[in-house]
Amino acid sequence: MTDRLVVLILCLTLGGAATTCGDQPQSTGKPSPTFEADIQPLFAQRCGKCHSQRVRKAGLDLSSMAGIHHGGESGESLVADSVEDSMLWWLIDEGEMPPPDEPALTTEQRELIRDWIAAGVPSDHAHPMSAESLNQHDVLPMLLLRCTTCHGPRRRDGGLDLRSRAAMLQGGDSGPALFPGDPDGSLMIQRIEQELCPPSDLLLKFFVRRPPTSEVQTLKDWISAGAPVEDIAPDVATEQPDLLVVDADRQHWAFQPPTDPATGASIDDFVGDRLRAAGLSFSPEASRETLIRRVYLDLIGMPPRPEQLRHWQTCGDENWYSSMVDQLLASPHYGERWGRYWLDLAGYADSEGGISADPIRPVAWKYRDYVIQSFNEDKPYDRFLLEQIAGDELVDYQNADVVTDQMVENLVATGFLRMGIDETGSRTMNFVPERLKVISDAITVVSSGLMGLTMECARCHSHKYDPIPHRDYYRFKAIFQGALDEHDWDSFKTRTLDLATPEHRRRIKRVNPPLKSELKKLQSTQDKATRQLRLELLRHHYPDQPEDDHQATLAALRVADNNRTLKQKRLVERLQQAELEPDAEQPAVVQATRDQIAALQREIDLVRRRMVPEPTIRALWDLGRPSPTYVLRGGEHNKPGDLVGPGVPSVLTDGKTPFQVTPPFPDGTPKTGRRLAFANWLTDPTHPLTARVMVNRIWYHHFGTGLVKDLENFGLQGEPPSHPELLDWLAIEFVRRGWSVKEMHRLILNSRTFRQRSETTQRQQRIDPQNRLLSRMPLRRMDAETLRDSLLAVAGRLDFAAGGLPDTIQVDRDGLVSVNPTEGGGFRRSVYLQYRRTQIPTMMDTFDYPQMGPNCIARTVSIVSPQSLMLMNNEDVRELAEDFAARVQLLAGGDDSATAAAIVDAAYRIALSRRPSRDELSLSTEALRQLRSDWKGDSQKALETYCHALLNSAAFLYID
Amino acid sequence: MNESTFRRRDFFARMSDGMFGAAFAHLLCQDFFGGTSAFAEQPVGGPEAHSGPAKPFNLTPKPTHHPATAKSVIQLFMNGGPSQMDLFDPKPVLNGMDGKPYPGNVEEIGNTGTAGIGVMMGGKYKFARHGESGMWMADVLPHTAKMADDLCLINSLWTDHPNHDNALYKIHSGRLFMGYPTLGAWTVYGLGSENQNLPAYVVLNDPLGLPKNGTRNWTSGFLPPVFQGTPFRPTGSPILNLKPQYEQPSEVTESARGLLRQLDEIHRVRRPYHPELDARIQSYSLAARMQLSAGEALDIGKETRETLSLYGVGEPETDSFGRRCLLARRLVERGVRFVQIFLEEQPWDSHVDLEDNHRAACRRTDKPVAGLLRDLKRTGLLDSTLVIWGGEFGRTPTSQRAGDVYTGRDHNMQAFSSWIAGGGARGGTTYGKTDEFGHKVVEDPVSVHDFHATLLHLLGLHHQKLFFTRSGLEERLTGVEPPRVVTEILS
Repeated sequence: MTDRLVVLILCLTLGGAATTCGDQPQSTGKPSPTFEADIQPLFAQRCGKCHSQRVRKAGLDLSSMAGIHHGGESGESLVADSVEDSMLWWLIDEGEMPPPDEPALTTEQRELIRDWIAAGVPSDHAHPMSAESLNQHDVLPMLLLRCTTCHGPRRRDGGLDLRSRAAMLQGGDSGPALFPGDPDGSLMIQRIEQELCPPSDLLLKFFVRRPPTSEVQTLKDWISAGAPVEDIAPDVATEQPDLLVVDADRQHWAFQPPTDPATGASIDDFVGDRLRAAGLSFSPEASRETLIRRVYLDLIGMPPRPEQLRHWQTCGDENWYSSMVDQLLASPHYGERWGRYWLDLAGYADSEGGISADPIRPVAWKYRDYVIQSFNEDKPYDRFLLEQIAGDELVDYQNADVVTDQMVENLVATGFLRMGIDETGSRTMNFVPERLKVISDAITVVSSGLMGLTMECARCHSHKYDPIPHRDYYRFKAIFQGALDEHDWDSFKTRTLDLATPEHRRRIKRVNPPLKSELKKLQSTQDKATRQLRLELLRHHYPDQPEDDHQATLAALRVADNNRTLKQKRLVERLQQAELEPDAEQPAVVQATRDQIAALQREIDLVRRRMVPEPTIRALWDLGRPSPTYVLRGGEHNKPGDLVGPGVPSVLTDGKTPFQVTPPFPDGTPKTGRRLAFANWLTDPTHPLTARVMVNRIWYHHFGTGLVKDLENFGLQGEPPSHPELLDWLAIEFVRRGWSVKEMHRLILNSRTFRQRSETTQRQQRIDPQNRLLSRMPLRRMDAETLRDSLLAVAGRLDFAAGGLPDTIQVDRDGLVSVNPTEGGGFRRSVYLQYRRTQIPTMMDTFDYPQMGPNCIARTVSIVSPQSLMLMNNEDVRELAEDFAARVQLLAGGDDSATAAAIVDAAYRIALSRRPSRDELSLSTEALRQLRSDWKGDSQKALETYCHALLNSAAFLYID
Repeated sequence: MNESTFRRRDFFARMSDGMFGAAFAHLLCQDFFGGTSAFAEQPVGGPEAHSGPAKPFNLTPKPTHHPATAKSVIQLFMNGGPSQMDLFDPKPVLNGMDGKPYPGNVEEIGNTGTAGIGVMMGGKYKFARHGESGMWMADVLPHTAKMADDLCLINSLWTDHPNHDNALYKIHSGRLFMGYPTLGAWTVYGLGSENQNLPAYVVLNDPLGLPKNGTRNWTSGFLPPVFQGTPFRPTGSPILNLKPQYEQPSEVTESARGLLRQLDEIHRVRRPYHPELDARIQSYSLAARMQLSAGEALDIGKETRETLSLYGVGEPETDSFGRRCLLARRLVERGVRFVQIFLEEQPWDSHVDLEDNHRAACRRTDKPVAGLLRDLKRTGLLDSTLVIWGGEFGRTPTSQRAGDVYTGRDHNMQAFSSWIAGGGARGGTTYGKTDEFGHKVVEDPVSVHDFHATLLHLLGLHHQKLFFTRSGLEERLTGVEPPRVVTEILS
């Protein structure tokens, strides 16, 4: 203690001297602070808890000069030539360190450190920088980045493989790639230094960049040293205690398995207890009509038809409510509604995104159908996850005698891990950083969606708030390395599988050939018509333009717009202007050709739909030859750190790797089995997160708020659950009931909690303003799908056909995206539309259909005027209102003699699943009379306007 | 139903005679078009809510982090990448080397492989110094040149990707990938709007079509959609669905609105403590007000002939861009926070025939841009309006093969020029230096993050304090590493 005091006093004196003399205290002749005398004790006292040789939070060891120069996870040295450039000073000066919950450094301590850095970090011992011995892991990352595309798993140009020292020694057609001890005589160094490798003309083709000299120097040093190989096992959690994550971190409630609470045995017990404790009680049960509408919209996303409504309204069975729930859970429309939530979680899209061409994913819909079907079948959730995470490692389909439906399903399920934005199909966007982004998106989907954890931060540095070290992110990444390998990347062309049952193949052979030739014919006719249309436009609007120029315009269109000459640009612009002329200005022949093209397009689409789907599956599968996984310091692809093996966040375990990775088919196709091991761990009944996260999600979709508010954040920063015992009880019930999602619906929907009224009393508002205690049912706005599907249902325009190719859309010049009708003139449910990332149907977009970036865990609900404008003024909505009016007329009696009251009653039953109140009835009859007068006696028009207003009303858009 | 003898007055009178309660009458007494602003009341619920119903995000004016010099922004986006060495950053050395091979490593040039890289290409136009500041500008920008002393020219911008798609994401949203909010979205998220009858963030597109990357140039990304740009349609009704797309007598429209209002009022009165229902009713009245406001804002009929000609309205080459510039002035005048003007596809992307193509792009835009600056200046609006001119990257000093010819330049992410004017930018400044070929920045580099931080600074927003929490991460326009506000270019 006394020693330290002396040191401190010394520091104070020195510090004072330094400030008066500027940044160069050594110029005063006084001794500068040195590491051993001044800094080391200070760091040991103030920083040693987290940054010692033993505990290296953020990878940082401040106990030695070597540790300081090595730096932390960012890969940068902590000190630099000047104070301003020194990360150490920056962290201290910005108040980042010590962290806010630790006492701050004193001014004197800060100045001491500052002076020491300014003096050039003096130390008693010369820093042994170069003494580090090199091994193969100092050069492998570079070879993977620069060389193995041509000399690795996929290609062996010149017969050469550069993935191991042995293979380098063995060499290729021109001899060994290296001679240990003789870098300049080694072929690989010669070729690299002469820039023959990587070859200039292949850099872009194979997405590699030339190594910087520093990397080449390391390679030479390694060869000089005899190309030593060390047997370094990948870093995984072992029996050794984990210094980065301590047991205290593991005590967080969400990292402990759920415990069976003693206090209650039903949802209502848990909710009721909390309400009573707050001096509240359950709200009265909602009316039967309200419950019918609520449960229909909740479970199938559409209102009941009038006869269904009547059935449940008049049903005398005392168990009518649970019968209704059961019936709706058995409906195929249930999966269309609840599968959609899962598609949000997976980040489903019908296109790749990323680049402006936004290429279509032609068979993504198979995954969509798989999800819907799984929900309809009530596939146990553990199995559902197993298939999506490791479907390719469940059955050895590559060695199967006969392909079965189950194998196909397993492979389709793995599409889950391929849903993110993927620009690596681009001519110029397939470098390692872009591939890493795709992998990081897949990790985000898995961690946020299935585990309720945000791991994104740990990609670049240890998590600031949650005990997830940088290292754990890369262990987690290693789980996926067998299939998502940035150094062994499947291009768009090679990432689909052709897998189909024999029966499926027979059907393709029988049905498709004639349709294919028909398709070809139609397409060529359409191409001709399009050409014709352009010529007609030009000839009509520019009669003075020579015919040669017309032809030149067509030729110019085949040139990419940025490669056109000025003359070509001008010609194309003239054509665009002609196309923009309003319909009234276009000659009849143009209109006719346009109609013809549109008709051909419909035909083409119909033929496509008649074809048997090709056996193509967009899948993810293990290649059985993972590249080594290195920690990437600072998240940078070219700053490799330690070698790591597969593992999960340490905080979710007892510190050891919770699974053993074994290849699933030892005598069959080589696979790592890493994802299978992970999936089995994730679906273990005692997993602390899996069941909790899923029941919380189900709860959220029923009540609009989760028991844990942030569905993707069960970590330390997330809000604790409003009803912790209830959450645990539900999680345990979920597993106990065979991971059945439908059982969870039954539990929730049959509870008194769910059957409450939504009206809020003043007392509730005062005591429970956010409704966290669930003193009433929340009022909710329809989401985009429910709104559109309900509008179509009310109008009688829904086409109930399920599955298959997504319905096409069209985009007008202003970017308005509308949906094309199906063959029968109807529209299918919203889940079956084409969701190209850049062309989301405007109606869906307006009502908060999310950007999948990479996925959407919880949608936002906005209230903006474009929504009002769309429902009021859009012609498609108007048309639906007219159809709705026709149904009202029919239900009310079928002719003009129906009384206003009967009409209003019918309209309310169809659209709002209830009878109008007295006020509503009298307002409505008055309004009908007024509207009829406004429409000069046209009662049909009056009814249409009335129906249109009803579809705009809050009563329609909101669910009690 | 009998043929009605009802008159409208009776209809409304009957509806408000107390039958439906006092709140009802109150609603009807409100001036339908004048009333309070749609988002004036902050709904209860707290801004921290991330899940659950009814998001309280809105467009009410928000306090700035520090005093602002700019209240609104007009971004003149030059899609495709204008050539810095041909327009703003003269390179005599380059002219002297015309036709000679590039002296450095050709792999550092361009983005389409080394095979297509041609020889050095001299500047295509004549340069001269302009204004008191002596700012360099090429003779294809004669009108902009006259405003030189109001411009703050940055010659040392650089970006991270040589592809249009990614460079566009970067310049608009600070990230190389799709799905992140744009500068405009962040601005209205941070500042709200001064005019509740018009969208806060307006996009004016070229009637010839959408720019490259389409609607993603004004996306709100993960921010709530209320902050995304609203494109005003260049033809017909300016906002999607602004006017009924079906025929209906106006008295019908009026009665239908009355009916809807009353239905909603019945619904609302029975459901107290649900602010989202109030907000919804207000969104309908905003929709109605918007019909009037947007129509008025976009009507340039009352502008003088002199003003019109200032912008080049009526002249074939400049009419289209000139109209959009004039509309932009009318919008910021009315309190719109952020206006973006785009050209169709990417007219500056001159891989071929750069000389002709750039000249044509200048002819389309030069006069309208200068007209806008002059008009803003004489109306005093330039003091509080930040005008931004520029594209997503620059061009290479070498020519590039396209087909069999070498007449254009490839993309260059390592250096490009942009200028800002008004709103606290220091006029007459030329900032930053590139190498002797205009290929790389050698002095005072300005990253896109630095650029954005500087623009936010002018708007009174601090880049670090402007964030949105998503999945436990604080997302910022300027990313994780702290950017630098380029104070040297602020007045």
